[in-house]
Amino acid sequence: MYRIFLSWRFLRSRRTNLIGVFGIFLAVGALILILSIMTGFLEETRRSARGSLSDLIITMPPYSESRRPRDPAPVLEVLRRDERVEGASAHLGWMCILTRQDERSLRILVDSQSSEIAGIKLTGIDPATEDNATEFRPSLDKVGRNDDGEIVAPRLRVANLDDPFAAPPDYDASVGRPRASVIVGEKVMTYHGLRRGSFITLMTAVPDPASDTGWSAKKREFVVAGCFRSGENEIDLERVYIDRGQLARFLAGVSEDDPVPEDSILYSEVLVKLKDYARDADDVRASIGASLYRSGLIDESCSIRTWEEFRGALLGAIENERVLMGIMLSLILVVAGFTIFAILSMMVTEKRRDIGILTALGATPRGVLVLFLLIGFWDALIGALSGALVGTWMAIKIDPFERWLSGTFGVQIFNREVYLFDSIPSVVTPIAVAAIVIGAFVCTLVFAAIPAWRAASLDPVEALRNE
Amino acid sequence: MSERGDIVLSARGVVKRFRSGDGELEILHGIDLDLRAGERLALMGPSGAGKSTLLHVLGLLERPTHGTVDLDGRDAWSLSTQERAHLRNHHIGFVFQFYHLLPELDAVENVMLPAMIAQSRGDFREDRHAHIAKALELLSNFGLAHRLHHRPAQLSGGERQRVALARALFLDPPLLIADEPTGNLDRDTGELVLELLFRAQQERNLSLLLVTHDERLAERCGRVLRLEAGRIVGALPGRG
Repeated sequence: MYRIFLSWRFLRSRRTNLIGVFGIFLAVGALILILSIMTGFLEETRRSARGSLSDLIITMPPYSESRRPRDPAPVLEVLRRDERVEGASAHLGWMCILTRQDERSLRILVDSQSSEIAGIKLTGIDPATEDNATEFRPSLDKVGRNDDGEIVAPRLRVANLDDPFAAPPDYDASVGRPRASVIVGEKVMTYHGLRRGSFITLMTAVPDPASDTGWSAKKREFVVAGCFRSGENEIDLERVYIDRGQLARFLAGVSEDDPVPEDSILYSEVLVKLKDYARDADDVRASIGASLYRSGLIDESCSIRTWEEFRGALLGAIENERVLMGIMLSLILVVAGFTIFAILSMMVTEKRRDIGILTALGATPRGVLVLFLLIGFWDALIGALSGALVGTWMAIKIDPFERWLSGTFGVQIFNREVYLFDSIPSVVTPIAVAAIVIGAFVCTLVFAAIPAWRAASLDPVEALRNE
Repeated sequence: MSERGDIVLSARGVVKRFRSGDGELEILHGIDLDLRAGERLALMGPSGAGKSTLLHVLGLLERPTHGTVDLDGRDAWSLSTQERAHLRNHHIGFVFQFYHLLPELDAVENVMLPAMIAQSRGDFREDRHAHIAKALELLSNFGLAHRLHHRPAQLSGGERQRVALARALFLDPPLLIADEPTGNLDRDTGELVLELLFRAQQERNLSLLLVTHDERLAERCGRVLRLEAGRIVGALPGRG
């Protein structure tokens, strides 16, 4: 009985123990907070990357020598027949340059140092079938927050969600004015100073066997129907959505109201969304790939990839950072362990005589060992539990906390513009918290074991002589 | 309870050597000693004669190089560490020159310490009230009723030694080992502690092994052994 009683008394009588407890508290709290934020970053990034990429991406270069059908319908039909597939949609992508009639366009074109904007990825989509395959539609009414983190009144980013490419309601589409509309990324909107109803000119080049160079230039004016926010910086900065048919007409060089010529390019990739990505991704990729290939709908120039393969480097980097952070922060735990070791070693030296007294009164060496281990145990218990509580609480309340810090000290800690997250992402996983707490216990007990063992192997006579 | 005359503690051929530099230093050269129930035995001798070492060997704190120490009819140094700790706990009460109380505990807790060590948490809880009552009784008998919840630092030397004496008696051990119990006290205080020590010894029919420098103190014991250079050189009957 004396072990628990005395360990608690010894602990309370030595204020230096608080340093050890505080060290463990700090390490556990920081580990939980930082790892929760890193996990949140990872999940948020996965989510936003996924939103624009779909589960499977079948890339089909339009200019292959094969006799693949020009229309995506047969491929889409095969895909939609598969019961594991939630939806499929054909895209046509084309790189463009965006200009408009003001000086800003010139400034953007001559700014060789800018990392903000390169070309525009003009993406032709079918708004009707897009819903099931990508997160195009949610990106049209995603709320934003201002710099203070307040939600800007959730406004519709386009006039009509059911017909997103409709021109703005008050738009006068008289002769001579652009009749095709585009939906630009939120960052494109602000960077070029656009509004709903603004005109933009898109320029690009298309292959043209009749031309000397093999290419001919195309340009056309479009009206901005609205903007979208995917949450991923690169996409919101570079992507412009357009109706796939209108893109085909633009590239073919025919008017907005004419039928699409037969030999024009209609799609360059097919996006597939699965009902259960985690379960089916690999199976579907293999089986669908095989059946599409058999029916001559894809050939060697095509590829089927999961979205993770596209974002592999980014996701890998964040995961890597998370592991590295974990390792670095674990070092705090080791330092806290050293503190416990130093304090307990001091205590054993200081308590030599008491150890001798206990032995004389009938304590066994094992009892003395347990007594000092228990002191470490209490340190770990108090430090780890309070650290877990505060760390978890802060991870959950990180947003108000960050805003309070920013407000109080006038420093912006989390730049929402840079990360494009509306709030600091943070995901507390109970298993991680448990692992950190257990780790703190193991670390502390290992470090406490050394002085405890020294206390147990003290010669009681030597200890008693110590006056 | 042992009859008067039964042997409580018996040492045979106790030799103790210490490693010292390259060679070995022999401190005790074969000590034979018997202590009967209810007997007061004083151990005297000049500094460095080996008194403390002998006391530690007999008190089961230091293993002899050769020889045996029988306590409670068992060869104590052939027992396991656990069993020997149990013997110390139940059969020996120690009183040291420097009191050796735990500074974190108050008087009552210090007195109950042997029971805390002896019992598991559950058992101690069950007996807690009995233990506290017993500690209070002992301390009151020693005139410390007003000092129950003072820590050692708040007690005078004499008070500390009385607490230590109460602790030594707490589990009613048959053997009391006192190492210069008055060596650190002034004459009057020492006298008071001795009174209490001898009274308890008589009332409980304990065997007392007393190490002292003090001739007059030794005279009050039933038997006096003189230790010189690790050998017993003379045994005198005392007055006590």
